[in-house]
This record gives sequence, structure tokens and C-alpha cells, in this order.
Amino acid sequence: MFKNISAFTLLLAILFTAGNLHGESVFISGYARNYTGMLLNDTREYSIVQNTFDLKFEHSRNSVAFKANPYFYQYFDKDLKIGLREAYLDILFDKMDIRMGKQQIIWGKADGVFITDIISPKNLSEFLLPDFDEIRMGVTALKADYYLGDHTFEAVWIPAFSATVTPDTGSIWYKTLSFPIAPIFDDSHKEITPSLQNSELFGKFSAMTSLIDFEVMGGYAWDDDPTMHIQKSINPATQQLSGITLLPQHHRLSIGGGSFSTTVGAFVLRGEGAYYSGKYFLTDNPTAIDGITDKNYLHYLFGVDFNIGDTRISSQFIQQTILDYDEYLKNDEFENTATVLISRTFMRETLKIELFSYIGLTNEDALIRPKLTYDFTDGFQFLLGVNIFTGKDGRFAQYDDNDMIYFKVRYSF
Amino acid sequence: MIRKIQVVILATLIVLPVLSFAMDKISGLQIIENVYNRQTGNDQQADLTMSLINSRGDERVRTIRQFTKDFGAMEKKIMFFKTPADVRNTSFMNWSYDDENKDDDQWIYLPALKKIKRISSDSKSDYFMGSDFTYDDLGDRHPSQDTHKLIGEEMINGENCYVVESISKDEDYMYSKTVIWIIKDKWIGLKKDFYDEDEDLLKTLTVKKFEQISGYWTILSTEMHNVQKNHTTRMQLENVKIDTGIADNQFTERMMRRGL
Repeated sequence: MFKNISAFTLLLAILFTAGNLHGESVFISGYARNYTGMLLNDTREYSIVQNTFDLKFEHSRNSVAFKANPYFYQYFDKDLKIGLREAYLDILFDKMDIRMGKQQIIWGKADGVFITDIISPKNLSEFLLPDFDEIRMGVTALKADYYLGDHTFEAVWIPAFSATVTPDTGSIWYKTLSFPIAPIFDDSHKEITPSLQNSELFGKFSAMTSLIDFEVMGGYAWDDDPTMHIQKSINPATQQLSGITLLPQHHRLSIGGGSFSTTVGAFVLRGEGAYYSGKYFLTDNPTAIDGITDKNYLHYLFGVDFNIGDTRISSQFIQQTILDYDEYLKNDEFENTATVLISRTFMRETLKIELFSYIGLTNEDALIRPKLTYDFTDGFQFLLGVNIFTGKDGRFAQYDDNDMIYFKVRYSF
Repeated sequence: MIRKIQVVILATLIVLPVLSFAMDKISGLQIIENVYNRQTGNDQQADLTMSLINSRGDERVRTIRQFTKDFGAMEKKIMFFKTPADVRNTSFMNWSYDDENKDDDQWIYLPALKKIKRISSDSKSDYFMGSDFTYDDLGDRHPSQDTHKLIGEEMINGENCYVVESISKDEDYMYSKTVIWIIKDKWIGLKKDFYDEDEDLLKTLTVKKFEQISGYWTILSTEMHNVQKNHTTRMQLENVKIDTGIADNQFTERMMRRGL
């Protein structure tokens, strides 16, 4: 741990002083933030007490540039967490840019929903509650963009796979499948060996025109979320279940999709969809090996943004459809979700009131997130918010005990 | 005979100024069209400093680097926000069209989300970044959208000005009327009063500084004072460069993401 901190301190010292040594300035920006949350259940426990220091170093010279974004998360009850959100080099040509290094790559037109936006893996250690730049993790990649007027061809090669980060066991966000007996975890198949044949490839063509903006994408990737292979042991004497072994394992996915946004009068219409081939689902089919089966599925969304007076409204309808569905599958054939965002600013945009909600239409559950933001001065912001999970079943209802009120103070520089 | 001569002289003295005024007479629409069509160069780049001052005198400052280029039937503008720190690297692009029936196309790049979002330009009555300028105030309003009437002439700051009253043809427009003072020989609006729906004075725009740059009259400093709420926004342009030949690709998704 101390070795890591020392190395990091050395790196920061080099970055801070590099500009002075060469008489050139490295642009430094970032923020310091306190984030404190308290559960609204009877325990009134703190769900999070986090101090964050996020730094961005940027420098460019002629047609090359670099950016590094180290961060520090300090908790009263956990070790200091340090890392690099991004660290990359840019080489800029007349009609082409190349970016290499750790980077966040964001595709698609959806808000808060991941359909074609599948390149940067997600950090779900606190479910979907952190800011999106903190949910999306940087991934080491080589990215090339070729520009033809308002059209862009983009190719991404990810040499080594990174998976979704899931909550630690013991975290209030950690949930596991329920079994009649306690399962044993076998993580021996979880890692993907970094190699050329295990790398990921993505391509995108996009256009930004007066009539419409659109993207068409494809990818040959790994499923960021591991499939849980379930191996059951039967006692030959009693013919009773004697053991369950869970083997999380990532599988290859092929994806094709696209997105668009356009303006119709006062409305901005958005859409995004993708076809996934090779996705594995849990099944009760007794003939299925490891309790899983692969099914292709569709994931798509339609959204609309508009204003009523000074109030901004944005709404999305999302559907996941499993193709060639059979009744043994544990998932529903269709899973429908909606999102709603309502916001309004006051006092010359220093005070903002916002309500964002994920609504699980299939399971009738929801995550409701009202918040109030006040800019005390430029770059010094207070935020007070509440996260409310409701429902009996579903992605959001499973955190029904995790309703929380939280407070953030952020100083940007 | 002498009496006839006196009558002719008197008539001439009366009629001549009237004829002269009639010949010099210009309509409100022509004046506004002259302002709208005033040559401003093919492209322009500048640093914009916007100061928001509230009724207590507290000041908040935004700095922006902006580029504008005329593409014939359309004009493209891109703005890069430099400060305050929490909006740094945000960029905004606007494509506006000579065709008055075609709405502007607008996009905003949000660096925290790393996304370019298309936004509706329909809400022209929204205030720009918490300032006293609406998007409509900042844009080039087409003369045909209003009915214009020349209501007088007046000297302001030593400049001889036409005074034109404009009333929107759209009954739902945010202002009941505007009155603008336009410098006669330069076609620059030196002052503009905006009246609210109750026909009370809402705010006053004053041009504080203008200069000829590369042969074009260019407004460099303005102040919008909201008289009802007693707050003010100052806009100041610096490092103005005109007709430098800004590349077409300055106004693309690539540049929005790259920033300055």
C-alpha cells in the first residue's frame, strides 16, 4: 500500500514539476469533494463517507497531447484508494486522430442506460449511484478516428479485457443468487488471459448533420458481466443435493447496433438499439449444462427531450427482449424500463432542482433520485439528494433497504 | 409683385425642408435590414468574458473562446468554455440559417459525460448561462419576424441615431416591443430597450465599445441591465480577429470533443 502511495506521489511530483523544468505549463484542473450518505432505515448508518481528490493534467505541443487523470478516494473505514481514471496520448493528424492508453470511450445517445455504450466497463460497486464519469472505467485501448467532413470512422482495439467491477462482499450493494444450500465460489475460470486472441475490437461510423445525428456500430467483445455457471453435486446415496459450485465466467459477445438523435420542432427525439449474439442466461432446463443457455437478445430505447416553460423534461423507454425465448429461462422474455428526468434552474442557474428516476415497468420497482444543487460561488457547489428504492422484486427493489440521503460538497479548480 | 415674391419665398422655406426630409426618409424596416446585413467579415474569432453581477454587486465571471464562420446560407458558431472550472471544456455549437423558417441546429458537449447531445433551439427565451441575455438576444433576429417603425432620431454619446420600435408578429414572443437606437452611418445598435408582456421596461442593452477591425465595425463591449431585478451582465470581446480563414473543420464534432 505504502509502496503504491510512494509511486503515485512520485508520479504527481513529476507531473507537477515537468512544466516548470521545460518552461512549459501543464494545465492542471480537478476537484476536491466530500460525499456523505446516510441510510434512511432504522440503523441510520452511514452508507458512504468519502473524500475525493480528482486531478487532471493536460499538455499539448504541436500535434501531440497527453492527459492524465489520477484520483484518490479516502474513506474512514477503508484503505485509501488511488488510481488513474484516464492516462493517454493523442497524436493528431490532418484528418485522423490516434489515442492510445487508458481512456473512457462513450458511444450512443442514451442517458443512464448502456446499450451500444459497452466499451468502457462499469464500476457498479455502488450500483448506479455515482456520477457517470465515475461509473465508467477507463480501459487501455488504441483508438483511431478518421474524419470526412461531418462523418467519422472510429476503430477501437482493446488488447486486454476488463470486467465490470461488482460490489465487495459485505457491501450494502452486494447481492447474490439464493440457493437451498450455501454455494462454493470457484473463480478459476473468471479471468481472461491477456493475449491477442482474447482482445476486443469495435468499429463505429457516425455523422452529425442538420437533419439527424446517427451512429452505426459493431463489436467483437467479451461480456463485461460474468455468467454464473452453476454446478450441482448430488449425493448418490440419498439422491439429494449435496453441493453447489458457482463458476463465474465471461463469454464472447458479438454486437451490432446504432443510435440517432434528431429535432422535431421543440422536441429532441433519440433512439438506440443493439443486437447481442452469444449472451448467456440462467435456465431451469434440466438438460442445460451448468444451468445456463445462450440466447441472442435485443436491447433498445426511444427517448424524447423537451421543455415546458423553464422546466426541462427527458424521458426514455427501454426494452430488453430475449429472442427464441423458452419457458425455462429465469429472465422474463421482455424487460421494460423507463427513465424520467425533470429539472429546472433558479436564481440565474445557481440553484437547480432535479428529479431522475429509473422505473422498472416489468417488476413495478423504481429508483427515485430527487436532488438539489446550489452553486455557492463559481466552482463551489453543494448538493443534497435522496435515493429511494421501491418495489417488491427487480433490479431496484432488491435495494429497498438502501434508501439514503446524501450530501456532496465540491470545490472545482 | 413684391407680395407674390414674398409668398413664393415663404412657401419655398416651408416646403423645401419637408421635401428634403421626405427624400431622406427611410423606413424602420430598411434601417433594421441595414443593421442585419451589415458586413461583419467572413469569419471571426475572439475571447468572450461574460460577467454576471447581481443586485448586491457580487460578480461571477465566465470566459469563452468562440469562433464564427459564414458558410453562405448558413452561419456556424462554436464556443469553448474556459472558466469557471466546473464547466471547463464544455463546448456549444450552433448552426443558423438564412432561411427564417429553419430552426437553428444546436449541440452541447459535456466533458463529464464525454457526450455530444443535440439540443432543441426552440427555447429562445431561455437565458444563456444564467446571464441577462436570452438565446434570442444573442442571435441574429431576422427583420421579417417583427414590424418596425421609425419613431424618431436622437443623439446618444455624440452619435446621431435612428430610433426604431419593433413589435413581434408572433403574439407569444417574450417581449411586447423593443426600441433600438441605431447609429446612422454605421448601422450599429447603440442601445436597446426590451419591454415585457405588460409593456413595462424589462431590460436595457447598452453598447459600451465598438471599433473598426479589419475594416468592419465590431461591437466589443455590451452591458445588459435588467431594471426589474436590478442585475446586469457585461460581455466583453478581446483578441478579436476577423477574416483569418478559419478552417471549415473547426465547426465539427471532432473539435467539440477536442476543445482548445
